[in-house]
Amino acid sequence: MSADEIRTSKVEELRVVHQPLPRHDQAEKIAGTTRYAGDLAFAGMLHARLVRSQVPSARLLRRDGSRALGVPGVVVVLFGEDVPNNEIRVDVPGQTVEVGALKATMQVLATERVRFHGEPIALVVAESEDALARACGLVEVEYEDLPVVSDPEEALREGAPAVHDTGNLLAEWNIDVGDVDAAFAAADVIVEGEYRTQFVDHAYLEPEAGVGWLDDDGVMNLRVATQVVEHYRDVARILGVADSKVRVIAPYLGGGFGGKEDMTVEPYLAIAVAHTRRPVRMQWTRNESLLARAKRHRNVMRYRTAAAADGTILAHDVEIVSDAGAYAYLSALVLLYSSVHACGPYRVDNARIRSKAAYTNNPPTSAFRGFGGMQVVLGYESQIDELATRLGVDPGELRKRNAIRRGDRLPVGQTIETEVLLAETIDAVRDRAGDPPRPSGPRKVVGRAIASNLQSYGRLVWLNDSAAAWVGYQMDGSLTVRCGVPDVGGGQASSLAQIASEVLGVDMDRISVHFGDSALTPLAGTTTATRQLLMSGNAVYEAAMLLKDQVLGAIAAETAQPVESLLLAPGGVASAGRTVPLAQALQVCRRRNVPIEALGTFFGPKGREVTRDLSGERIFPDFTFGTHLADVEVDLDTGQVRVLRYVAAHDVGRAINPKSVEGQIAGAAVQGIGQALLEEIVVEDGVNLTGGFFQYLIPTAADVPDIEVVVLESGEGLGPFGARGVGEPPIGPPLAAISSAIAAAVGARPTTLPITPERVLDAAARGGA
Amino acid sequence: MFVEPFRYERAESLSDACARLRDSGGTAKLVAGGQSLLPMMNLGLVELDVLIDVSRVTEARGVVEEEGYLRIGALTRHRDLETDPLVARHQPLLAAAARHVGNARVRNRGTVGGSLAHADPSAELPLAMTCLGAEYELIDGALARVVPAHEFHVSSFTTELADHEVLASVRVPTLGPGWGWGFQEVSRRPGDFAIVAAAALVRTAGGEMVESRVALGGASDRPIRLGAVEASVTGARAEDLEARIGPVEGLDPVTDTNATAEHRRRLARVLAVRVLADACRRADEAA
Amino acid sequence: MSADLTTTLVVNGRTVTRTAGAHLSLLRWLRDVADVLDPKYACGEGVCGACAVLVDGEPVSSCIVLAAQVDGARVTTAAGLTGPGGELSPLQRAFHEHHAAQCGFCTPGMLICATAMLADGMTRTRDEIRHELHGNLCRCTGYQQVVDAIEAAQGAAQGAAQGAAQGIPP
Repeated sequence: MSADEIRTSKVEELRVVHQPLPRHDQAEKIAGTTRYAGDLAFAGMLHARLVRSQVPSARLLRRDGSRALGVPGVVVVLFGEDVPNNEIRVDVPGQTVEVGALKATMQVLATERVRFHGEPIALVVAESEDALARACGLVEVEYEDLPVVSDPEEALREGAPAVHDTGNLLAEWNIDVGDVDAAFAAADVIVEGEYRTQFVDHAYLEPEAGVGWLDDDGVMNLRVATQVVEHYRDVARILGVADSKVRVIAPYLGGGFGGKEDMTVEPYLAIAVAHTRRPVRMQWTRNESLLARAKRHRNVMRYRTAAAADGTILAHDVEIVSDAGAYAYLSALVLLYSSVHACGPYRVDNARIRSKAAYTNNPPTSAFRGFGGMQVVLGYESQIDELATRLGVDPGELRKRNAIRRGDRLPVGQTIETEVLLAETIDAVRDRAGDPPRPSGPRKVVGRAIASNLQSYGRLVWLNDSAAAWVGYQMDGSLTVRCGVPDVGGGQASSLAQIASEVLGVDMDRISVHFGDSALTPLAGTTTATRQLLMSGNAVYEAAMLLKDQVLGAIAAETAQPVESLLLAPGGVASAGRTVPLAQALQVCRRRNVPIEALGTFFGPKGREVTRDLSGERIFPDFTFGTHLADVEVDLDTGQVRVLRYVAAHDVGRAINPKSVEGQIAGAAVQGIGQALLEEIVVEDGVNLTGGFFQYLIPTAADVPDIEVVVLESGEGLGPFGARGVGEPPIGPPLAAISSAIAAAVGARPTTLPITPERVLDAAARGGA
Repeated sequence: MFVEPFRYERAESLSDACARLRDSGGTAKLVAGGQSLLPMMNLGLVELDVLIDVSRVTEARGVVEEEGYLRIGALTRHRDLETDPLVARHQPLLAAAARHVGNARVRNRGTVGGSLAHADPSAELPLAMTCLGAEYELIDGALARVVPAHEFHVSSFTTELADHEVLASVRVPTLGPGWGWGFQEVSRRPGDFAIVAAAALVRTAGGEMVESRVALGGASDRPIRLGAVEASVTGARAEDLEARIGPVEGLDPVTDTNATAEHRRRLARVLAVRVLADACRRADEAA
Repeated sequence: MSADLTTTLVVNGRTVTRTAGAHLSLLRWLRDVADVLDPKYACGEGVCGACAVLVDGEPVSSCIVLAAQVDGARVTTAAGLTGPGGELSPLQRAFHEHHAAQCGFCTPGMLICATAMLADGMTRTRDEIRHELHGNLCRCTGYQQVVDAIEAAQGAAQGAAQGAAQGIPP
């Protein structure tokens, strides 16, 4: 089955899908019985902790674990030399089909050179966490400081300190379409702006954790908080064993957002287990998580936009420089997303996009919800708003005038093949919001703005994505679903149950979903890139349809009725006048040698591999569109911003579970508001100054208003029942909706995130407020 | 999570705690609510050999009214200040300050003495005590000395307490009728440490300020009274404050990840005006 | 160096006596010594609320209280809010119906603090609920469905209380 068969559905025919059912994983989470990665313990279990670099750039002159080994309870202190293959491939997590583009690596444990503050150098394994608390500080590391480069634009200049021998330019993408210079020459109005985003941390509540053990067959088992069980292959390569000798299990995650897409604890647990032959647990502290796990890229984005007097966008000229930090990870792909999404959900016939990612001695940067497609929303939507101001046109009307429609092409060359309800989302947020607010007092000003976006769902088509799922009846008519999808908390497994229930007529409470096990569940790929509903959802749909056909076929043969006259309904197989109970129907299947289980595999849309000069008829499977509206109030004396009202509308294709969709949108919107106003990993000369949740400020319940969600359903997504992916799309618009609302309030635009009170006051001073 | 083991001792009384401090020869720390100390230990910012727990000592918890002042035991919790009827009647500024501390869990465990002895320059209670002109009673077994708040708070995380001394109680003068109060702070999020916080007490007559006290936290290395501002607003009405109060002199704010020194200076004046205005309004209502 | 200490706590109605390092936080004591796993470590600073438990009915951050300090106390975790047969409390049911848990990692602490909030029987506005909840961080829900659940639960609790006052069975 492929994505070309878009399955739309009639809402009125759906029984289970499209219902706001409680998720099947909720009761246990609410009763406190869900066992997360850090909750599992073994008798005789050891504990492991990393010793990390205290400086951002240095040669390692000496590493000595002997004093640490002297601490009672310490079992072993491991260095890079103790790792069979001391190399982590950090190119495309979970990739099954070889792709040629990237072969980025880093050491599991640094041996000669460290490139960022927090880079792992040694691994201490001990009988207790108390022993680790004593011992880790006793591992002696002697550094010879090397020059630090911590600004990506400086890193690209001639003579900058080289982070890697290959130079500091990690990746470069160009898009060229039309005649940009001619378009600018012919423009009635030109808007220019420079926008800066910051390092952002995923800040999920569950820090990285896991337990590893060797089972009776000598298989290395890792039960870890990960979005990618396919890392078993990476672990096998590091250990120098066959892929079949490593198993990764992902229990329910305490949040992912991209931060558990690259490996975190996996290689270290595996090494510790391999050396000690005993179960080992590793739990990172919040401090470690903030210090060393990859962040969201900070971007510098320079936009020039040309438009005609009637508001038609004629051209975009965009330059993006992205801070890749010290190691590649997914930076090249994140930058690719930035490039493809850089012009937003608008028709732009002429575009020149130049983007570069540079190595620095900052924390590495990698995947994070929105994956490069979200930072640029700040750029293109700020430009549109400025354009509206300059032309004296309503910002909503200006957007509608330029909005992409089905059949239009993005600058990269991809044609949008599904319905686009962008204009409808603009109307929806405005209708919902009604009249703008009034200031609550003197020295207070209010502002309202909207921001629209597009965000891809599903992996880049040249990665040849696929997902598999197994669906089988038990003899009592209950149902088992097996699918390798990791559940990061977004209801991934529950959605699969809902889809299977819809197709096979089994009640939700009689369905169990086994997920996230690289050995025992069919591999479904990563829970990233807003792909799991599209991929695993379709795989389960496929398997369920196959199974349904098998059962109906068996009953048709048994009862000598045409298969078309039969219906798989709750309770059994119905035909004119009578119902064969399901348990009986399954007995018929067994007697007739018809399997009562099925494996479904879904293959995503395919495409050609891209090159530095990006161009392609299809880069992503499809996109999700939406618009957000923000009302803010600014205190002109203190610069404090209060978000008074927030409305978010997206065309989700079809809501498999409307409550889950609303939860995804509200959650992403608040993360985006956090990035707009509060959050920043502060790095000074490569030194990460952000040590805890007292400094890394994610929004609290009191920092945000109700997020009013408007769900539109075109029924045109590529997922099952016409669903579009919705996990990432709502995180981008808040950056622009909030900054434009502040601009509307104070008369000038803040262009650097986070928009701290001081930046608000700077803008107010410029705006004359 | 990774805290090096230490010796734990439970003090029977505050004087017992003094004795244990003396015996430790400077290697011990006191813990009461632990709401500042334990996070710092978890973050690896504080390491110690001996921890002396006074949290279960009951003698020093609670508020009593004495001649001209309230005596507040050092082990009184923030939550007690929020709900205590004597505080509500005589010194509502203290309850307001306590309400701004951390979150509900911190206020349940955290103590007055712990907050004052910790001496975070942006903390609410040292600020309120400074504004109120409170006096701290320190013991070293018996009552050793009484130190006014503005002398006790020396600089960031540094106080007048000697190694073997314990802050036992605080005397907060009860003000006569006609006084109004104001307390405000600006923080990045509710419950965060204040960037700048301000407290004021004002007595008015016929809508004009007769007497005032105003103090700031987070604007220097310790809470400070703004004598010059107090002098400049005598005779003013609430609506005159904006014009009367110029840039606040004598501050020494820091730049950190929360705010620059410049922003703190700006907030200092804004908040001084606001708390004085609030205090004026309340004083007028009381009159 | 660390002397072990015998501590007794009544955890979710069960008397638990364990001898362990006196330096252990209540969170580590519960998780690593007493196998009570629903309070979570997430920050160690007392700011996120994932480790919140009730100690003698009052909410505390168990990561910044030593078990030794609360020796003898009654400790209630989210798992202790359920009935003897595992049935969800009215607040837990409201969380279930309103999708108030996504990843669920903050949920035990959220439930504990919301339980403490609702204990006074006051009816709060959504803004008041939000303010009271500011010490409990959640990264998934944007708090929307959490506030929905608490608002509904206090309504239900009020309804039940009024019903009881009028002699109407719930």
